[in-house]
Amino acid sequence: MPLPQIDTLDPSSTSAPRRQRRSGSHAAAKRTTIGGLPLAGIISWPFLAVAGALVVYGLVICWSAVQGDARYNFTRQAGGVCVGLILMALVWAFDYRKLAGATKPLLIITVVLILSPHLPVIGVTTMGATSWINIGMQVQPGEFAKVTVVLFAASLVSRYNGQLGELREYCKVVGLLLIPFICIMTQPDLGTGLVYLFISATVLVMGGARVKYLVWSVVLLVAVIVAVFFVDELLKYTTEDGTTEYRLLKNYQRNRLFVFMNQGSADYSAEGYNLQQAMIAIGSGGLFGKGLGSSTQSSLGFLPEAPTDFIFCVLAEELGFMGVLGLVTLYAVLVFVCLRIARNCGNLFGMLVVCAIVGMWLFQILENIGMCCGLMPITGIPLPFVSYGSSFMVVNFIMLGLIGSVYCHESRLGRG
Amino acid sequence: MFVAVVAGIIAALIAVGIVAVVLVLLARHRDQHADASDPALLDTVGVGAEEDGEIRVGSGRSAAAKPADGLLKRFGALGALAAGIFAILGIKLWSMQVMNASQYSDEAEKNLYTTVRTPAPRGSIFDRKGNVLVTNRASQTVLAEQEVADNYNVVRRLSSVLGIPVGVVRQRLADTSSGAQNRRVVASDVRLRDVAFISEHADAFPGVSVETRTVRTYPYGALGAHLLGYTGSPTEDELAVTVEGSDIDSTDMLGKSGVESFYDSVLSGEKGERQVMVDASGNVVSVTSETEPAKGSDIHLTIDAAVQYAADRALARMIAPDGDIGSGKGVSGAVVAMDVRDGSVLAMASYPTFDPTNFTNGIPQDIWDLYNTEESHAPMLNRAVNGQYAAASTFKAFTSMAALQYGYATQSSTWTCTGSWDGFNTGSAQFCWEHAGHGTLDLHGGIVNSCDTVFYEIAKAFFDHGPEGTGEISDTALQEYVEQYNFGKVTGVDLKNESAGRVPTPEWKAEHWRNVPSEATWRGGDYTNMIIGQGDILVTPLQVACGYCGIATGTMMKPHLLKEVRNASGDVVLEHQAEVLAEPEVNRSDLDYVRNALRNMITAHTEVDEWFLEQGVQAAGKSGTAEHTDRADDAWFVAYAPYDDPKYVVACVLEQGGSGSKTAAQVTAQVMGAVMQAEGEQTGEVARVAGSSGKSYVTDFSAGEGRQD
Repeated sequence: MPLPQIDTLDPSSTSAPRRQRRSGSHAAAKRTTIGGLPLAGIISWPFLAVAGALVVYGLVICWSAVQGDARYNFTRQAGGVCVGLILMALVWAFDYRKLAGATKPLLIITVVLILSPHLPVIGVTTMGATSWINIGMQVQPGEFAKVTVVLFAASLVSRYNGQLGELREYCKVVGLLLIPFICIMTQPDLGTGLVYLFISATVLVMGGARVKYLVWSVVLLVAVIVAVFFVDELLKYTTEDGTTEYRLLKNYQRNRLFVFMNQGSADYSAEGYNLQQAMIAIGSGGLFGKGLGSSTQSSLGFLPEAPTDFIFCVLAEELGFMGVLGLVTLYAVLVFVCLRIARNCGNLFGMLVVCAIVGMWLFQILENIGMCCGLMPITGIPLPFVSYGSSFMVVNFIMLGLIGSVYCHESRLGRG
Repeated sequence: MFVAVVAGIIAALIAVGIVAVVLVLLARHRDQHADASDPALLDTVGVGAEEDGEIRVGSGRSAAAKPADGLLKRFGALGALAAGIFAILGIKLWSMQVMNASQYSDEAEKNLYTTVRTPAPRGSIFDRKGNVLVTNRASQTVLAEQEVADNYNVVRRLSSVLGIPVGVVRQRLADTSSGAQNRRVVASDVRLRDVAFISEHADAFPGVSVETRTVRTYPYGALGAHLLGYTGSPTEDELAVTVEGSDIDSTDMLGKSGVESFYDSVLSGEKGERQVMVDASGNVVSVTSETEPAKGSDIHLTIDAAVQYAADRALARMIAPDGDIGSGKGVSGAVVAMDVRDGSVLAMASYPTFDPTNFTNGIPQDIWDLYNTEESHAPMLNRAVNGQYAAASTFKAFTSMAALQYGYATQSSTWTCTGSWDGFNTGSAQFCWEHAGHGTLDLHGGIVNSCDTVFYEIAKAFFDHGPEGTGEISDTALQEYVEQYNFGKVTGVDLKNESAGRVPTPEWKAEHWRNVPSEATWRGGDYTNMIIGQGDILVTPLQVACGYCGIATGTMMKPHLLKEVRNASGDVVLEHQAEVLAEPEVNRSDLDYVRNALRNMITAHTEVDEWFLEQGVQAAGKSGTAEHTDRADDAWFVAYAPYDDPKYVVACVLEQGGSGSKTAAQVTAQVMGAVMQAEGEQTGEVARVAGSSGKSYVTDFSAGEGRQD
């Protein structure tokens, strides 16, 4: 029923009474607390405000980071924001509940998206990863698949009505949830794969999986990681030029871990240099920073990949601890506003969608900021709303749209 | 190593798992209102809807009890996880940016600032009358930033303007030997036309600049090359040694020998400093401060260009009249001319010689190879201070003084020379150079005729009165006396690595022959050899010249090359003060007696006398011929003039030059003539001197021709 959906965007339409009818007195109470803001039931103003603030803040930092670097184009980033805004509005207006039952199509779309770089003509392989397709412009389908992974995972788990109590069913769900991860590892792209895993884990926890199963899953995961290292050690071989190569983990991945485990020791590898320069950038920012556009570490090239993976360092160097605190506060507020939307959503699918997105953001924030300041090993995970990359920006806007859609179409009655 | 990594991951994951499980369990066992901590956080947003949310959650759960509502308690865990993540990140960033900010700032600055030193022009070197001996010449140098290598168009244009192949331009741009931050030298000694073209079309040559740099130039070529020395890039060892206040860069030019080396710190000046900000690739972003380099001070030497020229020319004409060694007399030689009054060195020549002009960009391999061949006779060796020779009969002046001092000869003693002598009754006679014998003569005659027998007798007297005989005097009395004339010791001239020569003593002999005990005993023959300047005694030409200062005036002045140092504005900042090197114990009348004999030595030899008279010089002097069993004799001649009021001394040695009174005397007379002519303010004849060809004829000096002093 597309037409009524558009109606809901119109404040003068009958949507308000209908909404009132749907959510009963609670909706009315909510309206009164928010005050005179229009579209109160359709648009969560706190949510939109904090998201808007993040996007603007992110654009300012991104603008500063790309200055003087011909490889990056700020207009493209701003274009990503514009496209993202339109998509967000469309997704917002779309009734997400129609996707609740589409588990199988979502899985198929996810798998097709993730595997599309393997297609002969459009697939692009750079730096050993088959992660891009070229359709007029170069896009990373694995990035867009985050959206479908969120929807797929939420749809799958919501089928159990919050009671994933049987081991057989739990295993089946976990097995299905692992499909996107396995697909992305064929590219391979461990960073995005970890994001998928974290989305799935959040959905499992919030979707009512038994704690016992979750604990056993964690134990199993640890065992698998140990096994990977162990098997890798057995499978290692020496190439003709005398270097040791591993089959499962790449040398740079090992280096990143090694650098992470051995901070402070003199390390002249590329990975060690990156971490060292990132930490110098953050630390030298001090309390108030060197001023927007006055960074030395990133603008003079000491910091590699400044506008993408290490953009947090640019912020920390230019605006100091106060600027960092501002960003972290905005993230925290966004997370808790979203969690409140999820909690207020009477629909399990909607709740899981929002929780999955929050979990994904949390993981990305932790990993990205954590790797910049040496708390986490280095992986190629960008910082939401800040890192340069228009695909990434568009995907985050779609996520915002999904949360908006959940807010706007929230209804206990609708599920029943 | 990976065991540690794996263990770390396991520990971290287990910790995270435990925390998550605990939080979930906690959330499950708390009643719903315990979740209120979560909405309380929302307070900070100012939404003010927490009550509403709380009511909804509560009512939803109790009223509908729908399956999804049982999950709401898990929000506590998710919220706590989020709060934990933000708290950990906040704490870590606080510690980095607030607690340890200065440490990181220091590291950021270390990344950023670099000091680039700009070389200072070296000071010039002048002779005593202000003639330039060494100076700098401008060399138009084209420099380019390192990135120019990536710009093919600019590389191509540089190649066509400078006439250098593209590949060579590329190679020079990639050359990091001058340091990563410095611009690369594309071409030196570029024609002014080409410089003008590049300057006028600056737009077409981004990153290219033209600089006027200075290189060493020698107006007279090889003139005084050994004493002036040459410059070159520092060696690894020189780079490693950091003298306070003067850090050496690999691009610097250092004095490698001669005055350039001895007075390097005076000549080198002070470098300019450019404090620059660089980016990660080492490109200069901006210049934060700059100090101009200060040119080095000028050095004025006591050398007289005309005398030096006369010495260099006389040696070259004597040894290699057609340019190759062997076409004249001798294979190598040295001349030292000194002012006996203050020790100033007027000329110090050594042959074969080299032209330092060839060394301004490092010593070319072909010249290096050529000068290392045996037939080149070591052109780099400064024989005036590093050539060590037997003093031969020039030594008789000093041993005569010793004999007179100790009373083993008096002004009226006489001896009879039969041509052979066996004073120690060994059965094998020693010979005077004049095998026919000199008859009866006194010490005066012994000096004039250079009669060896006279000195054998004196040596025997020294030997007989030492511990081997009566023990009246020290067993090294003769050595101690000649050491008063500074033999066996460096003179302290302002050149590095001067050789000390050798005065043999019984201890020295025992040490030298420690592996051949039969040779290690000091014998009378050692005395008879030493007293005529043969055997184991070794002297340098400079030592002989200094010794004759002592004979000429009674006082030996320390030889020196430096007259004064002038700063860049031309003010004299340092003037050399004459120093006394030694004052040997002498009896004035004995000294006059020996000097009279030295004067007669010249007048008695008509040929020698004529050579000096041709130059208008009334000199006193002594010849010497050092005998060798395996090659031709070395020729010596030392003279001072005027004989009655000594002002200058000239010493000359010619390796394998034959008889001293024939070859070395000619060179000495010519140089002494130039010295006397140079007394006025006018500079005499001086012209460019060529370096040695490095070649020599294979000559067969027939041995055993006999010595003729």
